[in-house]
Amino acid sequence: MSEAPVREQEHELDTSWMDQMGEWGIKAKPGKRGLTLAEIQIGEYGELPETTDNMTGRPRGATPRPEAYRVGAYGVRNLSEIWLENATFLYEEALQRQWSSATDIPWHTIEPLPDDIEEAECLLCTFFNEVEFVAGDVPARWIAKTSPDFFEARHVLIAQVMDEARHMDVFRKRALANGGGLMRMSGATSGFIGSIDLARDFTEMSTRLHISGEGAVLTMFRMGELMGQNDAEKRMYRLCAQDEARHVAFGVMHLRFLCEHAPERRPEIECYLDEAEAQIMAGLQNPAGTQAETSEALAILLGGGKAHYDEGHKMLLVIRRRQLKEYMKRVQSAGFGERFENGRSSIPEQYAAAY
Amino acid sequence: MARFPSEAWFKEVQEVYNSDSSLHTGGGGACETTAAFKVGDECYRIVFEGHQCLEIRSASEAELASPETDFIIEMAPELWKAMVENIQEHGAAHDDQTLNSIDLRQDDSIAYSPEDDQARQDLFYRFNQNFQDFFDASSRVETTFD
Ligand SMILES: [Fe+2]
Repeated sequence: MSEAPVREQEHELDTSWMDQMGEWGIKAKPGKRGLTLAEIQIGEYGELPETTDNMTGRPRGATPRPEAYRVGAYGVRNLSEIWLENATFLYEEALQRQWSSATDIPWHTIEPLPDDIEEAECLLCTFFNEVEFVAGDVPARWIAKTSPDFFEARHVLIAQVMDEARHMDVFRKRALANGGGLMRMSGATSGFIGSIDLARDFTEMSTRLHISGEGAVLTMFRMGELMGQNDAEKRMYRLCAQDEARHVAFGVMHLRFLCEHAPERRPEIECYLDEAEAQIMAGLQNPAGTQAETSEALAILLGGGKAHYDEGHKMLLVIRRRQLKEYMKRVQSAGFGERFENGRSSIPEQYAAAY
Repeated sequence: MARFPSEAWFKEVQEVYNSDSSLHTGGGGACETTAAFKVGDECYRIVFEGHQCLEIRSASEAELASPETDFIIEMAPELWKAMVENIQEHGAAHDDQTLNSIDLRQDDSIAYSPEDDQARQDLFYRFNQNFQDFFDASSRVETTFD
């Protein structure tokens, strides 16, 4: 038996915290897709404030604690500034469709390639590495600026950051897998792509990143299947394209929500679209732009070598036409299609001229 | 032996696709969409739910055009045939015979939303691997053509 003195208990256990509960008795049930975020949007836990003054990081639905510090300088506190109708769905989709660049790409199918093709592929991999850094860093900055009351939308962005990390690593792996390496950086991050990070408003950022930037990159990833010289490259591009289409969906659905819930912001949004479109033109149509090297690499890969550059360039123009059309249709889907009919946007002209 | 295109052929493909768990990971994970295929005048409706192809069956043109359909993949019968033949020959779509590659070689997309909503047409890109896996599974279905 212990020789330690037995002490009388000096204090009653204070369990008053047990009475400080949020809405109680909740029994969330899995749906046919499991227990998704949509299934726990129940009662107060599912109530989204139009505007929130939650600056303490209080989880939505938890009881406030008056002495809690203001831990987050949340700039995004209006629902319409960040929200989208299908946030829970997109988040679950992102989680359930993750893949591994280590094991889901048949790296063994890569074989030595002619120098011009390897160099063009490595140039693209270098370019995508730069681009993906921006695509990861920028949403990441906005996550911390967004009120935790809108966590579903934040979660989609967090999943995007994971996707972009994988894109960065898969292109780096490809560059280092076949006797080549990285090439000289494109400098794209100093131009339009870098300008995404200068946005002062979330929707301004999302318009540039998700709709015009990632919309354009989605087409490039899709082209990867035509450019790919082996199953590893084809699969790498195809899986990246799926992720990218999800990121584009965030932008389109967010813009649609904003258009419906804050129509007074329409004129301002049109200006963001003006800017994004001017940049698309500079970045993709101007052969003297900083992206010229990237375009040449695409044409070499599409044609199947330097000797077939013209053929590749022709294919590139056809695909770019599709890219412009899809951009217009996405903006239309978001509720801003008028700009292509009333002369405000120059994209219809570019589309007509892109042959 | 099933004839392409026919409901019986698609149902055999569905069985192969659903029973091979290796097709439901690595970028071909859970998929939620209702889509359709148009091969000439023949229409088929396909529903993916989670890791399964829940339904594939003949449908009317009017049904395809309903708001339930996210997107329709429509190609000339000879394009469909070339793709299926290529899959039969190689065990999976080879070279430029994947859905995505075929799509990029056309002036207009082979996939479109009956409501002309790009956000729904984009589901063809978001779930592309599942649709590719589905058709690649047809390499294990003994196939005849008209
Ligand atoms: Fe992305």
